[in-house]
Amino acid sequence: MLHDSKSRDDLDILKNKINDISAFFEKTLFSTDKRPLVGWFCTYTPEELIVAGGFIPVRIFGRKKIIKSESYFPINFCPYIKSSWESLLSGADNLKAVIFTNSCDGMRRFFDTANKYLKDTPSYLLDVPHLRGVDSIDFFANNLNNMKRFIENLNGKKISNKEIKNAIILINKKRKLLKKYSQISTKLPELISISSYFKVMELSMISAPEIFTDDLERYIKFIREADTENMTNLQPNYENTPGIMIIGNFITEEKLWGMLSTMNLKLASDDLCISSRYFEKQIELGDDSDFLNLTAERYLNKPQCMRMADLGLKLKEIENNIIKNNIEGVIFISLKFCDTMLYSFPLLKQKLNDLGIPALYLEIEYNNFSEGQLKTRVQAFLEML
Amino acid sequence: MGIKDKLKTGVQRNLNQKYIRRLLDIIAKKPVLFAYGSTFSSLSDKYLNIFTIKSLRNAYTDNNHPVGYGSLFLPYEMFHALGITPFLPEVMAGFTAGLGLATQTLKEASSNWYSQDLCTFHRSASGAVELDVFPKPDFVITTNLACDAAQKSFYIHSVKYNIEKNFYLIDVPYEYSKESILYLTGQIKNICMDISSKSGIKLATSKFKEVISLSNEFRKWAIKVNNLRKTLTNYPPYYNGLNFILPFHGLAGTREAVILYNQMYKELKKYLDKEEKEKSGKNKSLKRILWLHLKPYYKNEIFNILERENCRVVFEEINYIYWPELDPERPFESLAKKMLSHFLAGRIDNRINVILKAARDYKIDGAILFSHWGCRQSNGGARIIKDSLNKLNIPTLVLDGDCVDQNNSSQGQVKTRLQGFVEILNS
Repeated sequence: MLHDSKSRDDLDILKNKINDISAFFEKTLFSTDKRPLVGWFCTYTPEELIVAGGFIPVRIFGRKKIIKSESYFPINFCPYIKSSWESLLSGADNLKAVIFTNSCDGMRRFFDTANKYLKDTPSYLLDVPHLRGVDSIDFFANNLNNMKRFIENLNGKKISNKEIKNAIILINKKRKLLKKYSQISTKLPELISISSYFKVMELSMISAPEIFTDDLERYIKFIREADTENMTNLQPNYENTPGIMIIGNFITEEKLWGMLSTMNLKLASDDLCISSRYFEKQIELGDDSDFLNLTAERYLNKPQCMRMADLGLKLKEIENNIIKNNIEGVIFISLKFCDTMLYSFPLLKQKLNDLGIPALYLEIEYNNFSEGQLKTRVQAFLEML
Repeated sequence: MGIKDKLKTGVQRNLNQKYIRRLLDIIAKKPVLFAYGSTFSSLSDKYLNIFTIKSLRNAYTDNNHPVGYGSLFLPYEMFHALGITPFLPEVMAGFTAGLGLATQTLKEASSNWYSQDLCTFHRSASGAVELDVFPKPDFVITTNLACDAAQKSFYIHSVKYNIEKNFYLIDVPYEYSKESILYLTGQIKNICMDISSKSGIKLATSKFKEVISLSNEFRKWAIKVNNLRKTLTNYPPYYNGLNFILPFHGLAGTREAVILYNQMYKELKKYLDKEEKEKSGKNKSLKRILWLHLKPYYKNEIFNILERENCRVVFEEINYIYWPELDPERPFESLAKKMLSHFLAGRIDNRINVILKAARDYKIDGAILFSHWGCRQSNGGARIIKDSLNKLNIPTLVLDGDCVDQNNSSQGQVKTRLQGFVEILNS
C-alpha cells in the first residue's frame, strides 16, 4: 500500500529503473553476434530450426511507412503485410532468407509477391496444417523436414540432430522465461508498464536468443529481488482496478501500449501473437529423439491462432483464461482486413455475452494509430466497467 | 410481370423459409418447372435453372436425405455418394444478390458483428443463416482451399444450428506431393466414414463408383465445351459462363451435371457450325476477353457495355477443368488429387499457368480481373497476374467492385473504366 511521500518516491525510483528496458537489455540491443539473420512472420514458424542452422531468427515487424508496397497489394489488404513488404523492399533488415507460413490468404499472396519480386533473398513457405490430430502432426513434421532442408541449403551445411536438440533447449528456455516475465508483469502492474512488457516481448523475437535470454534472466532476477525486499508492497491497491484481457493479432503499436500504460486498468491476460501465443507451451523433450515430430506437436498444440480449424477450442481457451484471471472486460483489437480474426468476433462476442463480460471492439491500421479517438473509446469502456 | 419477376417480388416480400418451401414445392412440380424452364432463351440456361430449382427443393423440403452445407471447391462427389443433398451458401449468396435480398442479409450480418471489411459472399450467406432463411443443415463441410473466409463462416453456421460435432474442415495442403495426397485422402475417407456412421447411410462402393463415373462424364463434356469455346465467338442470348458455379461444383457426380454440359455442348456446337458456315460474317474486330474471378450477381451493365463495345468474354478461369480423370477404383484418393489440382491451391504460379494457358488457347486480346471486395486470395495476386499477362502484351483491367453488394460498387466508375480499357484494346 502506498502510505507516504517517501514510499511514493521509492516506488517511482524503482519503477523508473524497472522500466528502463534499454539499460537492462543493453547486450541484446547492441549485440555483437554476427550470425546471419533469417526473417519470419508467424508464431507457427519454429525458430528452433533457424537457430539449429546457424542463423538468428528475426521476426519482421515492418515498421516502414507504406509507400511502394501500396502498388503491390489492394487497398483493403493486411496493413502488417504491406508494411513488412515495404521493409523487405527497402532491404532494411539485411536478411539471408525469409520464412513465410500459409497462415492466411494474405500471407500466401505475400509469399508469392516476395518470390516474384525479391529475387536476391530466398523465401520459403512453411505449410502449417489447420487441424491438430496425429495425422496433421505427422504431416507437419514432414513439412518441417522440408524447411530444414531449405535452411541447410542456405549455408550448405547439414543440420544435425544434436543441433536441433540444443536449439530446442534454448528456445524452450526463452519461452519459459517469457512466461515467467508475463506472470510477474501481471502480478506487478504498477511496477512494469504495459509498454515495457511489450517492448521485452518484441526484443525476444528480434534478437539473438542466447543473449536475450541472459538479459531477461538478469532482468527477472532484479525484479524478484526487489520483490523479496518488499519493495513491491509499496504498490497501490489494485483491487478496484479492472482486470482486462486483450485479444488480437499482430498488435505492436507502441503508442497504444503507452496509452494503456497511463490508464486505470490491469492487463491481466492476453491472447496475442506477440505475447502468449508466442511463448506458451514447451517442446517436451523426453526419450523420443524425433525432434521434428516433437516440434510439430508443440506448434500445433500451442495456444492457437484464429486461423486454425477449431474456433470452438479457441473460444474455450479464451474462456479458461477469463475465469482463471478474473477478467472483467475484454478489449478485442484487430488489424484491419484480417479475415481470420474478424470472423472470430461474432462467436467471441456471443461467448462473452454468455459469460457476462463486456467487450470493446477495435479495428486499427498498422503504424498509423489515431490515439485520441482510441483513448476516448477505451476510457468510456473502462468507465462502464 | 413475367414469372421470374413474380418470383423475385414474392421472395422479397416474404423472406422466410415457409414461403420459400411453398414456392419451391409449386415450381418444382413437373409441368410448372418445364414451363418455367422454357422462359429461358438458351438451352443451357433452361437446364441450369431447372436443376437449380430441383436441388434447392431437395435441400428445403426433402426430409429423406440429410442436408449438407458445403463451400466451393469441395469434391461434391462425396456428398452424392453419401446421399447428402448439397446446399452451397456462397452460391446462394449470389442468389441473394440476384433476388435483391442482399441489402437485408448484409444488414443482418452487420448486426451480428460481421465486419464490413469481410467478403460479401460470406457475409450475405451469414446474414441469411441468421435470418433463418436457409434450410437447416445436418452437416457442415468446408475447406481451406483458396479462401480463409469459408472455413470460418461455415464454422459459425454449425454453431448456429448446434451441430459443431458435424462440422468438418478438409485441410488441403499447400503443395501437391505424395505426402499431401496421403494426408488429404485420409481426411476425405475419415469424413465420409464419420458422416456415414452418423447418418446411418451406408457408403456403398458401387454407388461411389457410379458417382465417380458420372463425374468423369461431366468432366468430359465440360472439356468439350471449353474446347469449342476456343474458336466460338457467337453465343446464345444471355449465355454467361459465370452462371454455372452450382452445377460445376455442387452437381459434379450427378446425372444432371452430365445432361447440362451435354446440352451446353450441343447448343454451342450449333452456334459454332453456323459460324463456320458463315465465315464471311465472322466479326474480325471482336475483342476476345478472358474473365478472371467472378462477376456481380445483381443487375448490372458490365456485359452489355462489353457487348456494345464489341468485346466478348470467351472464357472464364473458373470453368477451367483443373483435375485429372477420377479413378472409380480409388475414389478417396481421386478426390484428394482433384482438390490438390485446383489452381487456386498453393502458389499463385498455379493460377498464372492456367491464365496464361487460357490466354494462348482462347487467343485473348485482354483480361478483366473482377476485384471482388474482400477477396484477399484473388486480389492479393492481382499485381502478379497483371505483370504476367503484360509480358505477353495482354492488357489487364483490375475492375474493383462487389459481386453481391450493389451499394459497394459504382456503376458510373465501372463504365468509365471499362470504356478506358476498351480504348486500350483498340489502340
